[in-house]
Amino acid sequence: MNLWRDIKGTFQPFWITLGYLFKKPVTIQYPEEKRIPPPRYRARIVLTRDPDGNERCVACHLCSAACPVDCISMQAAEDEHGRRYAAWFRLNFSRCIFCGLCTEACPTMAIQTTPDYEICNRNILKLVHEKEDLLVDGCGKDETYNFYEHSGIGVVNERGGNEDEYGPVDPKSLMP
Amino acid sequence: MPKLIIDNLEVTVPEGTNVLEAARKLDIVIPHFCYHKALGAVGSCRLCAMMFLEGPVSGVQMACMIPAQDGMVIATNDPEAVELREHVIEWAMTNHPHDCPVCDEGGECQLQEMTVAGGHAVRRYTGPKCTFTNQDLGPFVQQEMNRCITCYRCVRTYRDYCGGEDYGVFGSRNRVFFGRVEEGPLESFFAGNIIDACPTGVLTNKPFRFKSRSWDLQEAPSICPHCSLGCAVIPGGRYRELQRIRAGVNETTNGFFICDRGRFGYDHVNHPERPREPRIDGQPASMAETLAAVRTRVQDLVQKHGPAAVAFLGSSRASFEANALLREWATQVGSPHLVFEAHQGRDRAARVLAARLGEHARSLEDVRQSDLIVLCGADPLAEGPMLALAIRQAARNGAQVVVIDPRSVKLPCSATRLPLASGRLPEVLKALSQKDLSAFSRQERSVLDGLAAQLESARQPILIGAADLLAEAGVTALCAAATKLSTPERPVGAMVLLSGPNSYGGAMLTGAADDFDTVLDAIQEGRIHALVCLSSDPFREAMAPARAQAALGHLELLVTIDSTPTLAAQRADIFLPARASAEMAGSYVNNEGRMQAFLPVLNPGLPISQTGAGNHPPREFFLQTPGSEPEEDWLILAQLLESASDLATIRQRLASSDQRFTELPAIAPETPGIRMSGSGQLPPAPPSELPHCTPSDTLTLLAVSAPLGSHWLAHLSAPLAAQEPQPYVCLHPEQAKELGLNAGDRARLITHLGHCHVVVKIDEMMVSGQVMAPQLMNTALEGMLPGSVLDCRLEREVQV
Repeated sequence: MNLWRDIKGTFQPFWITLGYLFKKPVTIQYPEEKRIPPPRYRARIVLTRDPDGNERCVACHLCSAACPVDCISMQAAEDEHGRRYAAWFRLNFSRCIFCGLCTEACPTMAIQTTPDYEICNRNILKLVHEKEDLLVDGCGKDETYNFYEHSGIGVVNERGGNEDEYGPVDPKSLMP
Repeated sequence: MPKLIIDNLEVTVPEGTNVLEAARKLDIVIPHFCYHKALGAVGSCRLCAMMFLEGPVSGVQMACMIPAQDGMVIATNDPEAVELREHVIEWAMTNHPHDCPVCDEGGECQLQEMTVAGGHAVRRYTGPKCTFTNQDLGPFVQQEMNRCITCYRCVRTYRDYCGGEDYGVFGSRNRVFFGRVEEGPLESFFAGNIIDACPTGVLTNKPFRFKSRSWDLQEAPSICPHCSLGCAVIPGGRYRELQRIRAGVNETTNGFFICDRGRFGYDHVNHPERPREPRIDGQPASMAETLAAVRTRVQDLVQKHGPAAVAFLGSSRASFEANALLREWATQVGSPHLVFEAHQGRDRAARVLAARLGEHARSLEDVRQSDLIVLCGADPLAEGPMLALAIRQAARNGAQVVVIDPRSVKLPCSATRLPLASGRLPEVLKALSQKDLSAFSRQERSVLDGLAAQLESARQPILIGAADLLAEAGVTALCAAATKLSTPERPVGAMVLLSGPNSYGGAMLTGAADDFDTVLDAIQEGRIHALVCLSSDPFREAMAPARAQAALGHLELLVTIDSTPTLAAQRADIFLPARASAEMAGSYVNNEGRMQAFLPVLNPGLPISQTGAGNHPPREFFLQTPGSEPEEDWLILAQLLESASDLATIRQRLASSDQRFTELPAIAPETPGIRMSGSGQLPPAPPSELPHCTPSDTLTLLAVSAPLGSHWLAHLSAPLAAQEPQPYVCLHPEQAKELGLNAGDRARLITHLGHCHVVVKIDEMMVSGQVMAPQLMNTALEGMLPGSVLDCRLEREVQV
């Protein structure tokens, strides 16, 4: 019987609305009141440092290659210890879709998403973040990982000084 | 012609082809590390394991080591072979470091690809990795030995193919090390090839270090602009900067490799002083205004002084199309003054070659297959380095190499040498062809008699010369000797190294016009009022620079079209910026008359490394990219002529207007190119030279080009400019003894061009009586134009 369905359909929404009059509201009075998202929320992207306080980013270009909207650009350079780092690193938040693929691609845990979602700006150029805007003091989500301790090319430790290596061999040795 | 079946597909291949190449013919990629077509098979990496199901061999075998034979049935994806390949990759990875993010090879690494393809993702070996201490291998090659998988491709490239002796393999078991006995720069001029050869990141490009990832690079097939051989290259650019060059493959010319000048000579495109905007009388103007100004001013001068008042100077480094359009312009104006090389000697030599080479033309592949190579007045390392490598391949196959030269010509192979003064080179060629060696001393005859006999018996002999030392007379003699010694069943080849990538093309376009010295005379006398320079620098390149500078000062109008900061560009009344070869499409004609097309790699613009001064790109926005005004040289000329301005139409028109260029529209990049048909015209007879009397107490100074320092584009490239030698002269030990000079002494070289300070080098293979000095840009030896012979004095300088 369609008539019964129509009457129910007319009154049930009013009933539900009426019910909410007696419940605590879920709406938050943003910006006076702010919600704290979970720690793994994907908002503002930062560049973190390793436990020794050095930049983690080695400018390997994997994040920019993974980025589906091409919002990351950088230039790699080398310092006097042989450490590869980003001479400049630019992330265009006006283009970023916060998909988090860059953090998945990052082999050094350098690029990470944070729960800080308040990055809106009327001036679009202020949404283009340079390295100094992105770099934070701290390790972010992984507090122990230091890429160069595992890389096997001797930047933070002597060559062959990492835990899974043995020291440089002597190619001129005659030992069997 | 064996017929075999690979993965159920049938293929017929020539005798001697290995199974790996046969599979490649079917577009089946068999994974491999150690195999390289130019280096051959050694079967050491064990990665190309295939299952041979039927035929003369059976079981799992290495595809690179088995020649294709009739009746073979092969499966590439047989479970047993796949499993072996998985294990091979796992072994290769046991000591490989975990550093792909900081490795420059990442993205174009064969090891990376094979690891992913082999499915090796979990490391089972838990023991420690073996490490090595790296060596500094000089300015071009970066070593990171921990990444090595011991495929031996670098030593096979460096030692076997390129003939270098200072790089090798050391050690045993897991201590195998590839490097030098002692740390130091690699000596071979072909050292850069080990970068391309290394399948992983052990040997990487040092000037390109950490600049870009391969997937970010814009790449396109191009032709090297550094000498006349026209090697295939693949330049790569990013952020408006040309960042590297790697070897392209053209089995007719360079094969798989290139020289270090070609590889590291990319930076002239990014030169900070490169003029990038059109200028009228020193003031920046728009391209349209500038083009209009050229048209009106040239027209005015023609109306005032007649068509002969305008001269046109083409170039060996402008595209063939641009040079052809310049000729069209000259014809349209009606001017008889059209030259394609400011250097008179080189111009005349190239024109003689274009007129006489004909059937004797030989490619580098022919040189590699030759069994007798006579180098007469050619120094390949300086004038066409890949020729030296081609000669080495011939020598490895048993060819005899004979060098007749006043200099001590460095070759990566052994050769019979006859030091002979430069003036006698045409004479020796004539004597060899006429089989009359009576004019030579007994010592000289001991070499020449043997050579004459070899020339009789050789299967594919090739006579090789170079424009600088042989000049007009020598090139004539070389071509005449080739004709004379040829028989219908045994033709003799000839090859002459010219100055630039398009010298031959320019020579083909030149009619019977006079050379640039005549043009200079006419300018001096006020008969020529305007000069249009296309990518050439008469201030530096004309035979007598001082005279050229004085004469060119008389010009009313100097129009320059160029992509580099030349003196002609600085002093031009009207300047039009052109693109470098890596920034445009076009074609070059190499020294055997081969037309080869190239494509644009990137658009011109100020590199971001310059606009950002090392930091991030500036936050400024323009409608137009900064520094993007340069246009293709042929486009500028087409606009000046107000004719069709697309490449296909230009080529079509050229082909229909001149029978020799009919094949031009058919050329395509990444093909071997097409040899031009027909020949050029001989230049008018040279003016009779006044008898030269050598003042007493003087020596003869032979100015030549050096591998680095003499070539304009290479000189503008920072990685190469840093390696240019200090000014030096080279002489025979006896001569040095006479003058009281020792090797390493500082001396004063006095010529009519002035005097300068040089270091003395002594070489036993120098001819006695002549001193050699290389032209070195930006030094006191800049005025030593290759090919000129001067009187000089050498005085020892006392060290204070």
